[in-house]
Amino acid sequence: MFTTFKNIVFLFCFSILLFSCKEDTYVVSKVTTKTLPVDATITSANSITKTIAPYKEKMIKEINTVLSYAPKDLTRTDGKLESSLGNLLADLTFKRANPIFKKQTGKNIDFSMFNFGGIRAGIPAGSVRNKNAFELMPFENILVVVELSGQKIAALIAYLIKSNTAHPISKNMELTITKNGYQLYINNKKFDSNKSYFVLTSDYLQSGGDNMTFFKNPIQRVSLEYKMRDAIVDYFKSVDTLRSRLDQRFKRN
Amino acid sequence: MDRRKFIQQSTAAASLTAIGGLTFPSFTTKKKKHITILHTNDTHSHLEPFDASHYKYANKGGVARRATLVENIRKENPNTLLFDAGDIFQGTPYFNYFGGELEFKLMSMLKYDLATLGNHDFDNSIDGFYKQLPNAKFNFVSANYDFKNTILDTHVKPYQIFIKDGIKIGVFGLGIKLEGLVQPKLYKETNYLDPIEISQDMSRILKEDEKCDLVICLSHLGYHYNNNPNMISDLNLAKATKYIDLIIGGHTHTFLPKPTLVKNSIDKNMLVNQVGCYGINVGRVDFYFDKENNTVSQGNTILV
Repeated sequence: MFTTFKNIVFLFCFSILLFSCKEDTYVVSKVTTKTLPVDATITSANSITKTIAPYKEKMIKEINTVLSYAPKDLTRTDGKLESSLGNLLADLTFKRANPIFKKQTGKNIDFSMFNFGGIRAGIPAGSVRNKNAFELMPFENILVVVELSGQKIAALIAYLIKSNTAHPISKNMELTITKNGYQLYINNKKFDSNKSYFVLTSDYLQSGGDNMTFFKNPIQRVSLEYKMRDAIVDYFKSVDTLRSRLDQRFKRN
Repeated sequence: MDRRKFIQQSTAAASLTAIGGLTFPSFTTKKKKHITILHTNDTHSHLEPFDASHYKYANKGGVARRATLVENIRKENPNTLLFDAGDIFQGTPYFNYFGGELEFKLMSMLKYDLATLGNHDFDNSIDGFYKQLPNAKFNFVSANYDFKNTILDTHVKPYQIFIKDGIKIGVFGLGIKLEGLVQPKLYKETNYLDPIEISQDMSRILKEDEKCDLVICLSHLGYHYNNNPNMISDLNLAKATKYIDLIIGGHTHTFLPKPTLVKNSIDKNMLVNQVGCYGINVGRVDFYFDKENNTVSQGNTILV
C-alpha cells in the first residue's frame, strides 16, 4: 500500500521534473574572466594566519636544527672546473650511496656526477642547519646508478669538457684536459673504453636533464630509492665538520 | 518555493518532504543566473607569501590573503565555487615536515569545493595522500586515474555535481601520466587511462545523462607542450572533446594573461585557463545564464 503511494509520488515528482526541465533550460549567455593577483593589497585573514602559526613555529625550530659545522664558506664558484661545494656533494652522495648499491648488486659505484645548476645554494661558514640542506637541494631528486658503456663515458667526458663548467664529479675521477684531448683515470686506473662503468647521478639528470643525454638508455639503471636531500642530511648528521677542498680532480693542463 | 530549488530536491531525493512544494510554483523566477568559478593550481605548499627579497615573486601569494579574496567574492556572489587543479603538495618545508596536513586544513577553511590530484600529490606515496584526506573537507575527483586496486578506491570519484541557484554544474578530474614522472612505488597500482577517451565519456555523461548546465574539467595534464605539441595537454583535449565549457589546468605552471578561447570538436567556443603557480593568482570565470528562449543569439558571448 505504502509502496504504491510512494510510487505515485515518485511518478508525480518525475513528471513535474520532466515538465520543469523542458520549460526551464538555462544556457550560458555570457562569460567573463579575470585573473586576480594575490598580493599585499589584500588583508590577510586572521583565522588563517593563526592556524599557520603553531606549525610555523615548529617548522622553524626543526629547520634550524644544527647538523654540522662548516669551517669556511662552501660554494660552487670557488674553482674553475671544480668547486668545494661540488666536490663535497659528489663525494658525500657517493659515500652514502655506494653501500646501498653494493648491498643491492654486489658491485661498487665507479664515480658520481651531477650538474652545476643543481647546486641551488652555498653553505656559509658556521653552523650547518637542516635548512642548508633544503636550500642546497630543494628538489625531490632520487639517486640512481646507471651502467654506462665506455662509449657513453666518452660522451660524458666530452660534455664535461665542452661545458667548461664545474659540474660536480666525485674524487674517484681524475680528468685532465690536455693539448690533444684528455687524460682520464677512474679509481686510479686508466679509462678503458671497452669497459662499462657504474655512475651515480640523480633521476632528473638520468632522464636527460641539463642535456646529459649520455645518461639515457644505459646498460642498466638501478634506482636507490634514496632522495638526494636525505643523503645530504644523513651525511651532515654523520660528521662534526664539513671538510672539502679543491683537489684538481678536473683540471686543464 | 523556488522552482529550480524544487527540482534540485526532487533530483536529489524525490523525498516525501518535497511534496510540500507541490503547489505549483509560479513562473516568475528571475531569468538570469550567475555562477562564479574561482580556481588555483600548483600551489605547492606555498602557504605564506613570498619574502620581500624574493627575486621573482616578492610579497606575492599567501593563503591568508587568498582567504580574504575568496570570502569577498563569495559575499558578492554566494553562487561561487572554488576549485584546485592539483599539485597542492611539495615546495616548502611545510610539506616536508607535516606531510600536507596544513595545506588541506587551510583549503578546508577557504571552503574549497573540489580538487584533482597532481603528480606531486603522490610525493609521500598514495598512502601519504590517503593519510591526509581526513583534513580535507572537500572532495577529490579523477576520472582517468583508476584507483580500484589502491587505498584510494572509492575515496576519489570520477566527477562531482554541484547545484547552485538551480544551475547544475558537473566537474570531472584528469591526471597526468605518472609513469616516468613519479616513482612507481609511490603511485603503486594506480592505473592511468587515456584522458581523451575518458573526457569524451565524462562530458557525455555529465551533459546528456546528468543534464548538467555547465561542464568543467579540472586537469593536471599541462597547458601545452611546445617541444611535444602532440602530447596530450589541455589545448589538445579541448579540441578533441565537446560539451566542456571550461578546463581549469595545472602542471605546467603557465601564467596565462587571460584564458584561452578554444574551438572544441564541434566548433563551439570554450575556455582553457591556468593561473601559474604558488597561489600567486586566483582565476575567476563568471558564467551568466539565461533561459533558453531568452537568449538573443544562438551563440554565447565569451569576454576574455
